[in-house]
Amino acid sequence: MNWEELVFEAKPFDGLLVLDVHGHIGAHRPFQLGAYSAAQVAQTATRMGVDAVCVSSLPSIVSDWKWGNEEVAQACRDFPGLILGYAVPNPYYEDCDIAPYLSMPGFRGIKVHGDMQGSLPLNDPRYFAAYELADKQRLPVLFHAWLPSEVAAATDVAKRYPNATIILGHSGMTARAAAVQAARECDNILIDTAISSTYDNAIEVLVDKVGADRVVYGSDISFFDCIHTMGKIALAKLSDTDKEKIFGLNAKELFRL
Amino acid sequence: MLRFIDARCMLGNRCIIREGDPNTKEDILELMDRCHIEKAVVYHAMAKESELPGGNMALVEETKDNDRFIRQWCALPSYFGEYLSAEDFFAAMKEHHVTSMRLLPKTCGYSLRPHVIGKLMDLAAQCRMPVFISLFEELTSDEVYDLCKAYPDVNFVVGNTGYRENRRLGPAVEQCDNLYLGTGNYVAHCGVELFCKYYGAERLVFDTGLPTGSATAAVSLIGYAEISREEKELIAHGNIERLLGEVTL
Repeated sequence: MNWEELVFEAKPFDGLLVLDVHGHIGAHRPFQLGAYSAAQVAQTATRMGVDAVCVSSLPSIVSDWKWGNEEVAQACRDFPGLILGYAVPNPYYEDCDIAPYLSMPGFRGIKVHGDMQGSLPLNDPRYFAAYELADKQRLPVLFHAWLPSEVAAATDVAKRYPNATIILGHSGMTARAAAVQAARECDNILIDTAISSTYDNAIEVLVDKVGADRVVYGSDISFFDCIHTMGKIALAKLSDTDKEKIFGLNAKELFRL
Repeated sequence: MLRFIDARCMLGNRCIIREGDPNTKEDILELMDRCHIEKAVVYHAMAKESELPGGNMALVEETKDNDRFIRQWCALPSYFGEYLSAEDFFAAMKEHHVTSMRLLPKTCGYSLRPHVIGKLMDLAAQCRMPVFISLFEELTSDEVYDLCKAYPDVNFVVGNTGYRENRRLGPAVEQCDNLYLGTGNYVAHCGVELFCKYYGAERLVFDTGLPTGSATAAVSLIGYAEISREEKELIAHGNIERLLGEVTL
C-alpha cells in the first residue's frame, strides 16, 4: 500500500479492511455536532472507504435508552453491514434490558459511558447485567475510558468477565500509561485510537508498548470527522502489517465479520 | 498535490514533553517533509513559557539558516520597562524579518483591553500585521468576539479552535470580518465543509499546532474535505500567504 499516495491524493481507503470500532449517531445537546445522523455517518464512511462503523446512539447514553437503542436498530436496518450497533444500558433503570437488541441484526456489542451517566464508575454493579451478557455471548464492550480511574474500572470489569473483550476508548491517547498497564494485565483488553487531537508519533509509541494486535481503529465519529485519525494512522511510521491490523483485521475477529 | 503552509508551529525546548513527541527542529522538519508542508509560521517555546524577550531572539537564531520557517514573535505590552515599547517592538520585528505576532494574555497575565494592548494593535493595523492567538489557552470564544470588535482594523487568526465551539465561534465569524480560524483542531464531523458553506473558505487557515498537535491529521482533514480544489488551496496556503503578503512593516 502506498500510504502517501493514498492520503495526499485523497483516495478512499478501498482495498483495505477498515472497521471503525468507535462511532456515534444522534444529536448532542452541549454543542453542535457538524453532521450526526446515521445517513451522514454512512455517507462519510462510504466516501472514505470505511467498510463498517460500529455506533452507539448519543441519546441512548444521555437520555432515553430505549429511544436511542431503537435509533441504532433503525440505522442497522437502513445501512446493513455498513452501520453496526452497540447497545447501551442505562444503569438507573432496573427494567433496562438490552438483550433483545443484541439479537437484532447489526448489533455487535455494548457501549458504556459512565461519565455521561452521572459520573457513575463503570464497575458499578448496576452495569453488571450488561457485562454478564457480554461475557456469555463473548461480545466486545466499548468503554469510555478517558481517565486513569476509568481505565482502572475497565480493568476490574475485564478481570470479572474474562470472556468479554473490553475496548478502552480514548485512553491510549489520554491515559496511555494506565491503558498500557491494563492491556498488559488483561488479555481481553484492546485500546482504540479515538481522540480529537494528539501529537504525531503517539500511535507509534502505543504500538511499541502493547503491540499492533492490541490496538484498534476508532474515530469517535460524529464528534469528530473520521479522516483525521485515518490519516494519522496511514501516515504513521508503522509497518503495513501493523496498519492493516489496526485499521481492520483486529476488529474483524472481534466483530465476527 | 496540495501545498501546505502551517500557520501555527512552535520551536524550542518545552517544559513538559511526552514520549515520542517531535521535540527538536529536526523532528519538526521531518514531519513537515512527511506531510508536504512547505513552510511554517513559528514562534518560540521559551517566549511562551518563560523568558519572552529571550525567546523571541532565540527564534531568530534558531531560524536563521532555514527559509522554511516564517518568524512570529510573542507580544508583551511593556510597562515598568519590562520589554520593548510598542514602537521599538515593531522596529525590532522589522529588523529581524518577523511578519506576525502572537498574543499570550493568559500565559503572561495581561489584558486585551485598549488601555493595555491598544498601542500594539494600532501599530499592527498600520502595517497590516496579522495577530495570532490560541483559543482556550489564552481566551474564550466570547473574548474572541470582543477582541475582533475592539480592534476592527487588525486581522486575527485564532488557532486551537476544537470541535465544541461552533455555537460560540460561528456568530463571531459571521459578525467579525477580521476573524480567521485555524483548522488544526477543527475536527468536527463535516466541520470544514459546513464552515466553508456558511462562512467561506477565505476565513480558514491551515495549521497543525506542532509539536503538540498532529500534522498528519491536519493535512488529512483538509485533503479529504468535500470542498472544491480552489477552497482547499485557499485554506492550505492561499489565505495565510495573503495575510502575510499584506504586511508592510
